[in-house]
Amino acid sequence: MAGPAHPEAMAPPTPGRTRAAPPQMPSTWWSAKRIRTYILFDATGIIYFLIAFLGIRLINALGAGPEAWDAAMESLKNPIYIAFHLLTLVSVIFVAVRFFRLFPKAQPPAMGPMKPPPGPIIHGMLYVVWFGITAFMTAVLAGVIL
Amino acid sequence: MVEKTIIITRFDPDRDEKPRKQEYTVPCEDSWKVLDAVNFIKDEIDATVSHRWSCRMAVCGSCGMMVNGEPKLTCKTALSDYDDRVDIEPLANFPIVRDLVVELDGFMHKFESVKPWIIRAKEQAEDKASLHPEKDTFGQSTEELGNFKQFSMCINCMLCYSACPVVANEPDFLGPAAIALGHRYNLDSRDEGAEERHDIFRGEGTVFSCSYANECSEVCPKNVDPAAAINQAKFGTVIDWAKGLVLPRGGTK
Repeated sequence: MAGPAHPEAMAPPTPGRTRAAPPQMPSTWWSAKRIRTYILFDATGIIYFLIAFLGIRLINALGAGPEAWDAAMESLKNPIYIAFHLLTLVSVIFVAVRFFRLFPKAQPPAMGPMKPPPGPIIHGMLYVVWFGITAFMTAVLAGVIL
Repeated sequence: MVEKTIIITRFDPDRDEKPRKQEYTVPCEDSWKVLDAVNFIKDEIDATVSHRWSCRMAVCGSCGMMVNGEPKLTCKTALSDYDDRVDIEPLANFPIVRDLVVELDGFMHKFESVKPWIIRAKEQAEDKASLHPEKDTFGQSTEELGNFKQFSMCINCMLCYSACPVVANEPDFLGPAAIALGHRYNLDSRDEGAEERHDIFRGEGTVFSCSYANECSEVCPKNVDPAAAINQAKFGTVIDWAKGLVLPRGGTK
């Protein structure tokens, strides 16, 4: 089944000599197999939108004094919050992996005499940097260093 | 031989208010491509069906259509890959001129706007004057050719425009094939027009409208990978912009 696309999509700069039907697009485009990863990627935006509200709430609690902060920290132990944070973690990993998968081909083939390394090496470098930063941040937050 | 129901979108601008569907029962050979079924309908059942096709070997790019909701080059798509009912529609995101024929002027206009030709900084006459009689000024190494060859394989079938979610929602978007072609010339060692094209790419509805859905590359029948071209063009455009900020005279010689 086809549904309407933007009525001006791919319209000619001046109207043609004959009447044309407005552009269509498959009404089930969002469920097509090939676009599923992209839809999931876009849907993660909802999670970041929600976590921004959580961030604002925590900043407010921080400004309201130690008791409000402790209460906010206590509320984060609620299973709903824990599930939400797990979902956020999964979505961040998903977005990072998708980005890493697409990153190598976005490199220009040459910059003057310099050429980017082959795709698998770029992949490896991205993962090494990712794991390195994660390990460093974990060590900082755990009080092991700094 | 298998009988299949081929459902074709029909639209006659003189009679139809909007596109409608028409079903045809077609005795299909096992080896047929989707285009063979449409040609059979045109030749044997209903001569009023309109569609574009030419080479039948995935070179001319004329026979792009939506097959069960997916943009496909119908001369390259086996009919045996589909069930008994096959829905054939005109390419998505394009105005429909008649039946399976879509309006191309908008596409051609976008194509032209990226200056898809070799631009030389000097006038052509000066260029020729500087030619060494026995040397080819515009010679190119295999490696230099390799930088852009992939992006020059586009056959203008427009499947990428049908697959792109940005094209469907943002009429000003130049689109995958046009940007890939502009980027192809930017990577060409004989070309000196990258700055001009980067000025175009910085404008509204160009490379930064792309959300890297990668759909254009998924459906491309020639593995041109327009998504790679667009995102490389983003990089080049940003580098040019940064050079303009940092270097004297914007880095121009």
